[in-house]
Amino acid sequence: MTTSHAPAGAGQDETAGPARAVALREPVPIAIRRRPPDASGAAERFAPTDPPRGWDLARYPRVARALRSRRFQFLLILPNQIIFWTVIFVGLLGTTIPGLNFGTAITWYIWFCLVFVLMVVVGRAWCAMCPFGGFAEWIQRRALWQRTQRALGLGLKFPEPLARYGFLLPVATFLLLTWIEEFFNIAGPGTPSATSYMVIGIVSSALIFFLVFERRTFCRYLCPLTALIGTVGSMGSVAGFRTRDRSVCLSCQTKDCMRGGADGFGCPWYTWPGSADSNLACGLCSECYKACPSGNIGLYLQPPLTSVIAPRRRRADVAWAIVLLWGLVLYQQFNATSLYAAIDTWLNTRLGFPHYPDPVAYLGLILAFALVTAGATGLIGRLSARPDARLEAAGNFLDRKTRFRAYFLPLAYGLIPVVGADYFARQLPKFFQHAPRLIPAVEQAAGMAAIHSPLYRVRLLSDPRIVAVQVATIAAGTLAALWSTWRISGRELAAVSRRPVVLRAASLGLVLACGTVAAALYVMINAAD
Amino acid sequence: MTQTVTDAGQAAAGDDQMHVTVLTDRCAGCQECIVRCPAGALSMDSARWVAVADDALCVGCRQCERTCPFSAITVRGPLAVPARVEVARPRPDRPEGDNGEVRPGFGSWDEALAEASRCLDCPDPTCVRGCPAHNDIPAFIRAIRERDLAAAHDVLRLTSVLPDVCSRVCDQAAQCEGACTWSLAGGTPVAIGKLERFVADNAPVPPPAPGPGARAGSGLTVAVVGSGPAGIGAAWHLREAGAAVTVYERDPEPGGLIGWGIPDFTLPPEVASRPWRQLTAAGVRLRCGVEVGPDDLDGLLAEHDAVILAHGAPVPLRLPVSGADLEGVVDATSFLKAGKTALENGSLAGFRQSYGLPGPARRGGERARPMVLVLGAGNTAMDVARTALRLGLRATCVDWVDERFALARPDEIAEARGEGVEIRFLRTVTGLQGEGGRVRRAALAATRQRRAGRRPRVLHGAPELLDVDLVVVAMGYRADPALAGRLPGTPVARQARGLPDRRWAGSGILANPAPSYAHGKPVGRLALGREAGLAASALPFQERVWAAGDALVGPSTVVEAMAQGRRAAASVIAAGPRRGARRAPRHVLVAYESRGGRTARAAGLIARDLRGTGAVVRAMPLAQVTPAELADIDLLVAGTWVEGFVIAGVRAARATRSWLAGLPRLAGLRVAPFCTFAVSPGQALASMRRELEGHGMVVVAEGAFGPRARHIEVQAAGFAAGLRAAAWPAGPRAGAGAP
Ligand code: SF4
Ligand code: SF4
Ligand code: SF4
Ligand code: SF4
Ligand code: SF4
Ligand code: SF4
Repeated sequence: MTTSHAPAGAGQDETAGPARAVALREPVPIAIRRRPPDASGAAERFAPTDPPRGWDLARYPRVARALRSRRFQFLLILPNQIIFWTVIFVGLLGTTIPGLNFGTAITWYIWFCLVFVLMVVVGRAWCAMCPFGGFAEWIQRRALWQRTQRALGLGLKFPEPLARYGFLLPVATFLLLTWIEEFFNIAGPGTPSATSYMVIGIVSSALIFFLVFERRTFCRYLCPLTALIGTVGSMGSVAGFRTRDRSVCLSCQTKDCMRGGADGFGCPWYTWPGSADSNLACGLCSECYKACPSGNIGLYLQPPLTSVIAPRRRRADVAWAIVLLWGLVLYQQFNATSLYAAIDTWLNTRLGFPHYPDPVAYLGLILAFALVTAGATGLIGRLSARPDARLEAAGNFLDRKTRFRAYFLPLAYGLIPVVGADYFARQLPKFFQHAPRLIPAVEQAAGMAAIHSPLYRVRLLSDPRIVAVQVATIAAGTLAALWSTWRISGRELAAVSRRPVVLRAASLGLVLACGTVAAALYVMINAAD
Repeated sequence: MTQTVTDAGQAAAGDDQMHVTVLTDRCAGCQECIVRCPAGALSMDSARWVAVADDALCVGCRQCERTCPFSAITVRGPLAVPARVEVARPRPDRPEGDNGEVRPGFGSWDEALAEASRCLDCPDPTCVRGCPAHNDIPAFIRAIRERDLAAAHDVLRLTSVLPDVCSRVCDQAAQCEGACTWSLAGGTPVAIGKLERFVADNAPVPPPAPGPGARAGSGLTVAVVGSGPAGIGAAWHLREAGAAVTVYERDPEPGGLIGWGIPDFTLPPEVASRPWRQLTAAGVRLRCGVEVGPDDLDGLLAEHDAVILAHGAPVPLRLPVSGADLEGVVDATSFLKAGKTALENGSLAGFRQSYGLPGPARRGGERARPMVLVLGAGNTAMDVARTALRLGLRATCVDWVDERFALARPDEIAEARGEGVEIRFLRTVTGLQGEGGRVRRAALAATRQRRAGRRPRVLHGAPELLDVDLVVVAMGYRADPALAGRLPGTPVARQARGLPDRRWAGSGILANPAPSYAHGKPVGRLALGREAGLAASALPFQERVWAAGDALVGPSTVVEAMAQGRRAAASVIAAGPRRGARRAPRHVLVAYESRGGRTARAAGLIARDLRGTGAVVRAMPLAQVTPAELADIDLLVAGTWVEGFVIAGVRAARATRSWLAGLPRLAGLRVAPFCTFAVSPGQALASMRRELEGHGMVVVAEGAFGPRARHIEVQAAGFAAGLRAAAWPAGPRAGAGAP
């Protein structure tokens, strides 16, 4: 840091003793007797999750300069903003051939895959450049990039009774959105205008929430993507913006990074760099970096999977989010089988529902998959927990501790890599089959008739090869999950279990089973085709 | 807690269980709430790293709610604090001739101790920020609880020299008490004013005594113009620091507003005269009856090392309607002065005579008393009206604002009405009619005001005629325009601009923008605005000239003026100006705007070099320079990188330009601008020089550092050497040592 103060009293004569100079500057502090912050346990609490000190990208002056620039996030958002408004307009006005419509092509063939890669490698990189939240935030802040002081809108806080369920609400919105998408076959790909309406829907609900609530309440509590990006993103190797020296943060009197300082807004995501122990809720927006007057924030890298393995605090909402997302992706695989088609039709005739997907089957299967997985972790706990393990039953949803939770929470985290790999694998066919269509789609949007473009029919890989890649992806995810679960069970569960070896074997078995189911479903679907 | 739950405050009906909820999804464990909870009800759960609350300890003050940056904590339940100790004095039916104090203080230790026990001794007390003088309120209340009034005085004298006066005349509801945590929580605050008064009334206010920095000002001679609260604050602080102080007062008696402006029934004469008794005893030279005009300033500067202008804002606003020059139309100042003398001497009849008023007729009762029309309903108008009642007159106040936006303290308005003053809001005088050259009738018109701060609109319609015997204009004051000419930029607006200091935000004082106890006044923003006045009083207006009080900020309050006087005095002591030869700089600020780091590096090198002179040198980015940082410096080095293209014109970086433009006037301050450039410095230095000189500063050196990285050390050293030669009289250490 460049700020330097002369040592007190250096070279002063007695006419200006240091005490007087201080009293002159600020008379209030004599009356401030705040309790000292409690730093006990901080070192131990954060040691596993603190990134290596040297892995601070902001040490490089170029990076630092970019991060300090107020235009940093704006320039990240701008290209996406342009693309997504193009998607909306081309989807509504352009060709109705889905494969040739720029909106459909970029959204479903390219964008989804890219977002997954970004998640796995970086974390919430997408959130930093997200055009939905970005657009709404511009309006909320009344500025494209400037630090403004007064927000537009009501600035309410998200009500506590809902907020206490953390990432479960976004899971619900994700399930809803996926159901709508399946119903209208938007990604299928259905009519291009459906994609436009979906994007308009997301942007306008984002806008409404940004105008009603403060900061990025939408991103934190409602955005359909946030739970997925947060959980899968915690595999990423970017730790996010973290404190450089925690003791400075603890004794910091201004907390500009939370409240907003002269050059940066307060953290829009409700994350404090001083206590962040995972990249789960850091939107990589760099506001805290700009706001901190002590230059006490860095942009850190971390070894992959750190945010899966290491956090000391396991959150119930995140664990449930993981198994529900797992249930959803299994459902999406399962619904391509003939068995599912039979179930769906049967239910639809009974319930009088017009067509696929039947909501009861949809939710029922997802819940069933999720509960079976959670139940398996519970069973492991039941079989191996030491009877004398100390558990508190009190507390609300996020904090209650039970024996079930003692096992379910950490083991669910361990499954993150399988879940992530499965989502990624599911996007692969669209990418390998259709990605080259982006070029004719652009030509079409530019006014050329591109239906005869050779690229329209080019496939990057044949179907059997795609399945091979999918299975390999799942295998890689399973390996990562095995490693994570091995570490997690050793750190957190061995101590509370009667027979640690059995426990670890059972946990790894669960991971293997999950991976095998996912891989087998891909092979089955392909065989059915 | 043994306290009984009596203050319902904002507590939900029927819910008397205290319950603190930490939203653990959002709680970041930043501990802002924990370090401030007065009851110690909050602690850290270090495994989850979130705050946890112990409902049994919580007293419901809601400090945690107001302070949490992520709004992750909420409190339900009552404010667990006993009812405020109220004291009332039996009042005579009719105030005529009664000059006794109307507001009683605590009559016994029991009352004081009971009230003192309501104070939570907050770790980050918002009341202190609400007090314009920043008295350490929890500390003096703690001293009361320990029955140690001397210790309480020791706390108060750190920040205030007028505890007996301020505790009587402050509008506590909008200041300390309005900002007390109980008030911010929607309840009834600790009676801070009455407790302060209890200290001052039951143990003598200590006279000026040399403090820890006793000899800091020895050898310094300072002139203070004006002996009102600002002058008292300044003279007191200067005397305690060992300076020789001469105070010039236009009136025959010292005290300014405290002397003549506040009636005896609010401020008894023994209290009002106490400060000057002690100041003269402590050796402050008082020269009453000496009017200091703008042309006398240079003479004062020749005789003294520094001048503090604290001459107040004594010029009454004129009445802009026909008939304003009739006989029987007087200004509030003269009425209050005459009325005060008459009441003290008991010469009510003489007073009426001198104003040409009939005596109270035997027949006709109340209606036959002479009628005084007071124009205005601010605090001065209330004083005038209540004085008039005591003189045996009737009084009606008219003010064109809506009562909701009235300037007077609501309790004062209620008191005045209780005594029989008629106060009519939304009325204005459109003309005065006389008979034989003397005012007889006033024409009143209705007005309308929709919002605070909006100018009221006069409604058309038949005017109402009111028979009057005397009209007192109490519409406000302004500073003497001639002297104000020597203080460019005054009156300084007491307004908080831009982003509030996060330490203020963190204290929670801004979280409740309109506590009901403060009658909906934005106590936090008002307090922040007052900081602007305090900051301005620390900065000189021209070399060796400071200003404080109403002369600086326009009509304000006793406590603010006193605090500003002290602040100006502290600034004088810190700067240690001397007549004659300029002294070596002792406090240097190197402020820079750096992009790539080169300017910062140059600034660091220059700062290191200048430290060799023995001066205290701070180096910091422009963005971090607060007005307080500028207060005590006597040399400013301002560095910047340059932007633009050679063809289109190279200028200082935009941030630098806007920073320079936003600087206050720093008259006479020596300044040395420099810039770093890649191709050419262009117009950067010239425009910086223009801007700096426009703010009254004196440029003593300039430097432009070229692109080669290795050269920057050589160039910075050369610049520093030049600067040392220009700003330090002879040799690097000369003058930096002994005064
Ligand atoms: S990051 Fe900076 S502003 Fe935030 S708490 Fe730490 S030191 Fe304070
Ligand atoms: S922690 Fe910093 S970078 Fe991350 S979301 Fe909050 S403000 Fe943005
Ligand atoms: S101030 Fe708020 S975020 Fe910080 S520890 Fe307290 S409840 Fe948690
Ligand atoms: S309401 Fe007051 S006493 Fe209760 S926890 Fe909050 S700060 Fe502490
Ligand atoms: S000086 Fe005035 S505002 Fe300050 S504590 Fe005393 S009564 Fe309150
Ligand atoms: S007076 Fe009020 S705000 Fe001040 S310390 Fe006492 S309880 Fe806290």
